[in-house]
Amino acid sequence: MGRHIRGIRPALLAGCLLLLPLILEGCTARRTAPYTYDWNQGFWTPLFHPDNLILFGLWLTVFIAVVSQFFGVVLGVFGALGKMAKAWPIRLIANVYIWFFRGTPLLVQIMLVYYGLLVTKIYPWPDLYIPILGFTIVSEIQAGIVALSVNEGAYMTEIVRAGILSIDPGQMEAAKSLGMTYGQAMRRIVLPQAARVIVPPLGNEFNNMLKTTSLLVILGGVPELYFTFSNKATQNFHPFEFFLACAVWYLLLTTIWSIIQGRIERRLAKGTAAGAAAAERGGFRERLLGLRGAGSSGLGGH
Amino acid sequence: MTAPNALSTDLLGAIGGVPRPESDVVVDARDVNKWFGRLHVLKDVCLQVKRQETVVVIGPSGSGKTTFIRCVNHLEKIQSGRIFVNGHLIGYREGGGGTKLVEDKEKNIARQRQEIGMVFQRFNLFPHMTALENIIEAPIHVRGMGHDEAMVMGRALLERVGLAAKENVYPNQLSGGQQQRIAIARALAMKPALMLFDEPTSALDPEMIGEVLEVMKELAREGMTMIVVSHEMGFAREVANRVVMMDDGVVVEEGTPDQVFSSPTQDRTKAFLSKIL
Repeated sequence: MGRHIRGIRPALLAGCLLLLPLILEGCTARRTAPYTYDWNQGFWTPLFHPDNLILFGLWLTVFIAVVSQFFGVVLGVFGALGKMAKAWPIRLIANVYIWFFRGTPLLVQIMLVYYGLLVTKIYPWPDLYIPILGFTIVSEIQAGIVALSVNEGAYMTEIVRAGILSIDPGQMEAAKSLGMTYGQAMRRIVLPQAARVIVPPLGNEFNNMLKTTSLLVILGGVPELYFTFSNKATQNFHPFEFFLACAVWYLLLTTIWSIIQGRIERRLAKGTAAGAAAAERGGFRERLLGLRGAGSSGLGGH
Repeated sequence: MTAPNALSTDLLGAIGGVPRPESDVVVDARDVNKWFGRLHVLKDVCLQVKRQETVVVIGPSGSGKTTFIRCVNHLEKIQSGRIFVNGHLIGYREGGGGTKLVEDKEKNIARQRQEIGMVFQRFNLFPHMTALENIIEAPIHVRGMGHDEAMVMGRALLERVGLAAKENVYPNQLSGGQQQRIAIARALAMKPALMLFDEPTSALDPEMIGEVLEVMKELAREGMTMIVVSHEMGFAREVANRVVMMDDGVVVEEGTPDQVFSSPTQDRTKAFLSKIL
C-alpha cells in the first residue's frame, strides 16, 4: 500500500489540474466577486478548440526550441572540445564564452543580440528564406534563435565536457592505438559513449528550452505560445483562465518530451548494465499510469 | 564455454598470413629517456626486437616496463632517445639538425600506430559496440576496408579466438578472458607488423588466464613479432625468444629464458625472480 502512495501518479495530477476550474469556482462563488470567470472562452476553448493563432504559437514554440537546442548542442560540443584543447588561446575563447553567457541574464542577451546588432547595423537581421523548409524566418525569430542557441551552448559546454571526462581514458588510448586520429576517436568512440551521460541532463535542458522560448515575447515579433496567450488574456480580461490554459499547453509539450526522452535514453543504454535493467523496468506508459511500482521517478522528474 | 582445444588455430590466416614487417629489426629503441615531472622512469633504455621474435619484459611494478611499451606506439612521449619501428622514427621527427626531437604531426603518428597492435591490461573494448563491431571498426574507418570484406575477416578472427558465437554480444556480457581475446582479435584486424601486450592477463581471474595465454602462444608460434609485458613466467619460459628484465627504469639483464631464469647474472634479477617464482 505504502508503495502505491509513494509513487507519483502523473495521471492523477493531470486529472486534478483539469478539475481546478470547478474547485476555484466553488471557493469564490460566495463572495461578491468583481470578477466573473469565463471558463468556456478562456480555458476550455483554447485547450480543446485552439484557433490558428494558438496552433501557430505551439508550432513556433516547438520550432524555436528544437532549432535552438540543436545549435546549443553543436556549440556545446565545440565549447567542450575548446575547453579541453591543448592550445591556450582556444581554451581562453571557450572560457570567455561560457563566462559571459552564463554570467548575464538571458533577457539581456536577447535584447543585445536583437536590438544591439540591429541598431548598430552590425547585423541588421534581414528576413531569411530557408529553401529546405520552404518558409521565411523573420528577423525577431532569427535573433531569438541565435540568442537562445548561444546561451544554451554555454550551458551545454559544461554538460558535454562532463560527459567526455566521464569516459575512461583507456577508450581514447585504445582508439589511438588502432590508428585513429583524435578527431576520429572522439567522433566514433568517445562522444557516442559520452552521449549516454549527456542525454539525461540534455533532456532537462530541452525541457527548460521549451519554456524559456516564452522570454522571446520581449521582442514583440515572435508569436509563440506565450505571446499568443498573453495577447488573448489582456484582450479578453481573463488572464487567469487563459494563462491556466497556456500552462496546460506547456505541460503537454514537456510531458510529450519526457516520453521521447525516456525512449532515447533506453536506446542509448545498449551495452550497459543500466540498459538491461531499463528494458526490464518497462515502458513510460506503465510508469505514467502507475501500473507498476513507479518508485520515486515520476513524470519529468526535473 | 568453448573447449580449450577449439581455441586459436591459424590466427594469422584470418588476416591473410603473417604481416610482413619491412625490416629485419622491427623495434629498435636507442637510449630512451623519459621523465614524469622529476621522476626519471626510463633511463637510457635500449632494446631491439627482430622479425618474428617474442620478447617478454619482466620486472617489479614501477620498473618502467609498461611505460616503455607505451612509448613504442607513442601513447607516452619520450624526452630523449629514438624509437624506430620498421625503420621509422616513432612519434617524432628530427629537428634542429638532428639534435632535437620534434613531435610529429598527429596524422603521421596515427598512421604509424596502424602498424602496431596493442592489447591493454583492462581490455578497453568499446562498450557501445558488439564484439564484431569492435573488431571491424578500425579496419573500416581507419584502413578504409570494405564493410563486407571486414565482416568476413572479423568473423574469421572471432572464430579463431574461439568466440564465433559471441559476434553480436556487447562487451559487458562477456567474461574478462573473452573480452581480452576479442581485444587481441581487434588489434590483429589491423594486420599489424608488431603486437604490444601490456600485462594482458593481470586483470583476469585466474581461471581465465589460460585461454588468453593460449591465443598469445599461438600468435607467437605463427610468427607474429611481439613485445609482452607480463608476470606470467611460465609463458615467458615457453614462448619467449628473449626475456628482458627491467628495474628502476633500466634494462638490467636480457637473454634467452633459460639464461635469465636459470642462471641470472644480476643480483636484481635474482632478487626479483626469488620473489615471484
